[in-house]
Amino acid sequence: MSDNPASSKEQYKAPITDWTGVADGVTGRSPLAHVGFDELAQMTPSDAPVQLREYALKGHLTLRCNPEDAAQTAAFEAVTGLALPTAPLSSVASSDTTVRWIAPDEWLISVPASALFSLQQRLQDALTGHCALVDVSSGLTVFELSGERAVDVLKKCVPVDLHQRHFPAGKVVSTGFAKASCTLRRLNDETFELVVRRSFADYIWLWLQDASLEYGLRVEN
Amino acid sequence: MTQLNRLSTGGRINRSKPLRFTWRGQVYSGYEGDTLASALLANGVDVVARSFKYSRPRGIIAAGAEEPNGIVQIGATEATQVPNVRATQQGLYEGLVAEPTSGWPSLEYDLMGAVGKVAGSAMPPGFYYKTFMFPESMWMTYEKFIRRAAGLGRSPIAPDPDRYEKTHQHCDVLVVGAGPAGLMAALAAARGGARVIIADEQEEMGGSLLASRELLDGGPATDWVASVLAELNEHPEVLLLPKSTVNGYHDHNFLTIHERCTDHLADRAPDTQPRQRLHRVRAEWVILATGAHERPLVYGNNDVPGCMTCSAVSSYVQRYGVVPGNRLVVSTSNDGGYQAALDWHDAGRRVVAVIDARRQVASTMADALKDRGITLIEGSAVLNVAGSTRVQSVEVARIDADAHQVIGPVQTLVCDTVATSGGWSPAVHLSCHTGSRPTWRSDIIGFVPGATHEQRLDAGALVGEFSTEGALNSGLAAARQALQALSMSVPEVVVPTLAPVEIMPALALFHVPHTLPTSRAPKQFVDYQNDVTAAGIELSCREGFESIEHVKRYTALGFGTDQGKLGNINGMAITARARGMSIPEVGTTVFRPNYTPVSFGAIVGRDCGPLFDPKRYTAMHEWHVSKGAAFEDVGQWKRPWYFPKAGETMAQAVNRECVATRTSVGILDASTLGKIDIQGPDAREFLGRVYTNAWAKLAPGRCRYGLMCGEDGMVFDDGVTSCLADQHFLMTTTTGGAAGVLEWLEFYHQTEWPELQVYMTSVTDHWATMTISGPNSRKLLGELTDADLSAEAFPFMSWQPMTVAGVPARVFRISFTGELSFEINVPANYGLHVWEALFERGAPYDLTPYGTETMHVLRAEKGFIIAGQDTDGSVHPHDLGMGWAVSNQKPFSFIGKRGMVRADCVRPDRKQWVGIKTRDPSVVLPEGAQGVFDPNAPIPMPMVGHITSSYWSANLNRSIAQGFVKGGHARMGETVYYPLADGSVVEAEICSPVFLDPEGERQHV
Repeated sequence: MSDNPASSKEQYKAPITDWTGVADGVTGRSPLAHVGFDELAQMTPSDAPVQLREYALKGHLTLRCNPEDAAQTAAFEAVTGLALPTAPLSSVASSDTTVRWIAPDEWLISVPASALFSLQQRLQDALTGHCALVDVSSGLTVFELSGERAVDVLKKCVPVDLHQRHFPAGKVVSTGFAKASCTLRRLNDETFELVVRRSFADYIWLWLQDASLEYGLRVEN
Repeated sequence: MTQLNRLSTGGRINRSKPLRFTWRGQVYSGYEGDTLASALLANGVDVVARSFKYSRPRGIIAAGAEEPNGIVQIGATEATQVPNVRATQQGLYEGLVAEPTSGWPSLEYDLMGAVGKVAGSAMPPGFYYKTFMFPESMWMTYEKFIRRAAGLGRSPIAPDPDRYEKTHQHCDVLVVGAGPAGLMAALAAARGGARVIIADEQEEMGGSLLASRELLDGGPATDWVASVLAELNEHPEVLLLPKSTVNGYHDHNFLTIHERCTDHLADRAPDTQPRQRLHRVRAEWVILATGAHERPLVYGNNDVPGCMTCSAVSSYVQRYGVVPGNRLVVSTSNDGGYQAALDWHDAGRRVVAVIDARRQVASTMADALKDRGITLIEGSAVLNVAGSTRVQSVEVARIDADAHQVIGPVQTLVCDTVATSGGWSPAVHLSCHTGSRPTWRSDIIGFVPGATHEQRLDAGALVGEFSTEGALNSGLAAARQALQALSMSVPEVVVPTLAPVEIMPALALFHVPHTLPTSRAPKQFVDYQNDVTAAGIELSCREGFESIEHVKRYTALGFGTDQGKLGNINGMAITARARGMSIPEVGTTVFRPNYTPVSFGAIVGRDCGPLFDPKRYTAMHEWHVSKGAAFEDVGQWKRPWYFPKAGETMAQAVNRECVATRTSVGILDASTLGKIDIQGPDAREFLGRVYTNAWAKLAPGRCRYGLMCGEDGMVFDDGVTSCLADQHFLMTTTTGGAAGVLEWLEFYHQTEWPELQVYMTSVTDHWATMTISGPNSRKLLGELTDADLSAEAFPFMSWQPMTVAGVPARVFRISFTGELSFEINVPANYGLHVWEALFERGAPYDLTPYGTETMHVLRAEKGFIIAGQDTDGSVHPHDLGMGWAVSNQKPFSFIGKRGMVRADCVRPDRKQWVGIKTRDPSVVLPEGAQGVFDPNAPIPMPMVGHITSSYWSANLNRSIAQGFVKGGHARMGETVYYPLADGSVVEAEICSPVFLDPEGERQHV
């Protein structure tokens, strides 16, 4: 659109840095490191009907591209082995990769931190046309909430209908969580995954803890 | 105390579980299953309140939510006080402590009692209206008086120790009310496979069936209730909510249910259990089966304790085994009233007479009366009651067929209880919450719900099906209709059979005539809670307040917590007659949520205390806490404000931090700044349109400051955007503006310029940002990286990727302090590591952490604005003296370009942002101080602009300030005066806003 010669529409490849490539001895720190989940796991009752664990320090990548661009979706599938979930509120997952639909042209991909750089490179190389890959690993953390009362706890957190008929396994929604937000995905009947923003992680942890008080909470590690 | 009114058998109470409770300091006993009201009546407590205007003694009239008098204060301790509780809805528990809310300061002798009639005449109808016309200052006085006198109770002073929860619910069918219609509807819907919630406000489900003597399928009605509840409990898709009032019916079938989870157990909820829960429900279909409230008749002194509704008498006898008196007179206009007489008689107490306004009565009920030998007086009504704290006798006379005139001699009957029934008013309240207006049905003498645009069905007494059989059938029909609409199977459901009942039509009697005109007759109460009388309503109409909405405001009919449950229809009927109109012509007032009072605790839920609002933390927060930082809220973020050392005041700490940064090196946690990754072929063009300045030539590796304006040309955010690669930028925003800016960018991209190929992603949380600033910042950073940090290799306003303390980083040479600065960005998971590494190497440089206050001072010394502090949405770039950041050469327009050249925006006397130097350098002006050019001008002095930023600058050893002055840019060196609240006037000079290093030499090193 611009008449500036610098702004050409040629195939653009964003520069990639291996942000996980830190020096030996440097360890990442979860936004909930201060909570001490390991100690809590020893202290909380083993028979509680609600269980919570954190999957910290995962690799997270935001993908923006055009779902109607067959070359892009094919490239995505070629790299990940997974079909890009273009249906609203859907997700696909393999043993170590999860792809969540966030918006019509946005997906959140989660992989083990060690696999992130390679994935980002391979996607970057394979995808053609206008797209964006943004590393958001440090900006997110993941909770897994499970147990027979998990739905009852979540009802106090999110306004969406959690009934199996409306929220089957694999469905993903980005929704309000109390006064914050989360990306919620059902893993199975009694298990949910919550992707939350780093700066809100403590609030959401406190809220989940509080909401499960009447049932009993076990922290797992 | 003995329970002198308690029967030895019968009722749904558990006599093996006696409970003690305290009423007004005295200990009484009741049983499990009692309400506070039934327990008080069992103990012969007649007076539970004093009326608000006339201070008349009042007793319990009803047995449910419609109770107007028994409004009590519950709570054994200060912290557990609950106002506004209806004694009829409060389950009894061991140790319950209740006090009357009215009757100030005591029931027997109170201030209003002492002034008695004076207060009454001081508060004629129209009191509210008339006080509104007084000066406002008087209203404050009146309001206090009214609030206290109106019997609304008091809030606890101590924090509530209980938990209150909120939860979201979704269902196919929400059934409101668990009487015959509601239970039938829920049963059918559940069998059809629907997800059902059934909520009922009473202590147990069953509604009218709990006090019914009818046989369903040959068995007691309560057996049928038990079997239905048992089946519903078995359904996994059914949620039963007893003790739960559906209080609000909002748009799109969103309803709120107030569940009293543990209110009936103890003064405090058991540990970890919520006391109450607010359910926020989205229902595909709503079936209202809210039943009906019995209308009492309006007659003289009808508020004397002992006057009740007929259905309440039946409820107390049948459900609670309580006969609330010895000698009963019933006055009725319909068959329903007879039940009270039968129940009373069968409980072994004396029914003096049943007075029926109808003539030649023939019905099943009348036969039952005759079988028991109870006296029936036809074509008559109770005109008046004698007694003050208890009914002593009633005056009965014949009335004409229209029920407008007394046509016979008055006879007196000795009794202590009067039960009246004027028929049933469907509880249409919820149906009206979404704007539906009720319609009058003369055949049932009542309003029924009107048409609605919601997916709502109505059943039972609510639609005039007052018989049990009719209610059951209409409940089933509603469920069928809902199931069909939901495309669910309609199951086979058999309605239980009942014995046929012969019913005689009711007579439309509301206001019983007296031998005297209404205005001179004894007080005939319509709305007990608000002390509204028939005479008051007639006066309202005479004074010209004729519309029912005016009558309501003039008299307070249906105000407050009562919402007209007992009195509204009677009030409308009296209004109609006074105006010579029909009731439907008069119409109804609007019923609003909530149906009954909801505690603030339930509304607040867990959004209180530490969970009131999210607290957002940076990756370095724990370090800040460990170093004793004072925190400031910026949006939801907790940012270090300053880092006091032992014994330091805030001013001392800030001065130290300011000097340390300018003389050596300081460090700021800037992680909270909004960060947006922007990429795509049109990213550059996009930036040019949303920022006021030019972006076409910003080369990769370079950074630029940008101003963002609204369409009106007014500044709303600013920040530095860096070119990461030709088509890739990182935008920073203010901390508070981050979410709003991203939304703004997406809005423009999606609605105005969808053709631009650009993607935006928030990376605020991903990056931890730490700014080291000061002459030694290069040396410090150099100890942690191998990168060439020289001015030549890494010039001002550029960025470079490098490894800092073993972590890949983006380092930006940008400065908000005017010093040599490096803004180090690392993935937040490594933020604390890098921060601590800087401190490990920082000691030789006296690396000083500083907070937002020092940041503010340092930027003010340099004359940098803070969007939102120095701007307020009415300031454009030229006002700020930042025309250099506006490029009118861009080929495409930019947001705000047109706005900032409007006539008003180019006036020479606009308020312009300038520096303000007080003549006395030790005086720090308060922010917000208003300037004047002539300190001797008469009040109101013409104000010429206010101070937006003002600090003590330790580096300059004087005060500095910035603010707006009319035409300020052309007034450099002139004097402006700031008259302060304490009467002093501060004289100051208008100057450049840049107080330190105007050439920028310190940052270009």
